[in-house]
Amino acid sequence: MIILNLMANILLNVLVAFLVGSVLFGLQRKIMARIQMRPGPPIIQHLLHTLKFFIKESSFPQTAAMPFYIAITAMLCVIWVSAVIVGPVTEGSLLLIFAIYALHKIVEHNAGSSSGSPYGKLSCVRAVFSAAAEVPLFAVLIIIYFKTGTMNIGQIVSLQAVSGPLIYSIPLAAAMFFVLILSKAPYSPFAITKGKDIISGYETEHFGLLRGYLMISESIAWYMLLWVFLTVFIGGLSPLWYLVGMVVMSAIVALINATTPILNPNHSIMMQVSFAIIGIVGSFVLLLY
Amino acid sequence: MNNKIISGITHQTGEIMDKLKVASYLIFIISIAGIVYALLFNPPNWVVYAISIIFIPAGILSFGLIVMARGPKDDEEDKTREPFIGY
Repeated sequence: MIILNLMANILLNVLVAFLVGSVLFGLQRKIMARIQMRPGPPIIQHLLHTLKFFIKESSFPQTAAMPFYIAITAMLCVIWVSAVIVGPVTEGSLLLIFAIYALHKIVEHNAGSSSGSPYGKLSCVRAVFSAAAEVPLFAVLIIIYFKTGTMNIGQIVSLQAVSGPLIYSIPLAAAMFFVLILSKAPYSPFAITKGKDIISGYETEHFGLLRGYLMISESIAWYMLLWVFLTVFIGGLSPLWYLVGMVVMSAIVALINATTPILNPNHSIMMQVSFAIIGIVGSFVLLLY
Repeated sequence: MNNKIISGITHQTGEIMDKLKVASYLIFIISIAGIVYALLFNPPNWVVYAISIIFIPAGILSFGLIVMARGPKDDEEDKTREPFIGY
């Protein structure tokens, strides 16, 4: 068995998160296309797009708020590299993952407002609006705390090894977290910050390398959201089972996305808040009985 | 008159781009040096976390700024010129 030092471990995990996340995004598009009777792009298309944007001609809009416009893309990468360290590398606290997710909403908001584009600004407003629904969904972590008595990922994994996966004991919390993951998927019914009615939302005015840079972070984010779900609700898995779990979850998300329209912001928020209320109240009832 | 203003803007844009390139090379070299240091010398964990969180994103961004393609010099004038031509 090869033992890596901490830096090599972090680099390897970030690289795996980026590659797996990119391929899963490609797989999602492929499955969506096949359901809609289209051939669809190759599975590695998202990865190729990400790399391609780095060598494309880049320009910065005159309306952009420099250097904030560039710095905010670095911010997204910083928070998801941090998530990889807190998650697979150190199995640290779920509270930090929650904080990172909250920062992700702030990045969406500020990336939109810093570009000067009206589409970006509309997306920025929607990012705040959607946070009102997505953050309560992420509050599912509190239910996990009530069930396990800890916020440490390593200890939650150990507890599940003894008493079985949490998905059986707090299924509504798992469902809430799944809705949160769904809301972050491209073309999802809840993806109001990047809905096609506002072009690419907060990313509309980030061209060339900055778009590629944002796509790297988003791939890592997708991998991490799936990793947190599998680790917290099913337990510590081998790398192969993590991969199988992520493919299955991405396929389910693709099926939902392919067969549902993007909801308008009001409906999206109301639906997610309804899920959150049912999930939180239902989980506490299940915990009491 | 208009031509002078336009050439001034183009010149300024060129200078900004050059500064950006120099800064990008500097950040890229520092980032790679930091990562290599953490790989070879096993500093305390908190130092490795700080290096990872700052230098991995900075390294990717600066690499992108170095390798990104730029439009031809002739096009810069069209990009910076205001479409409004006045009454």
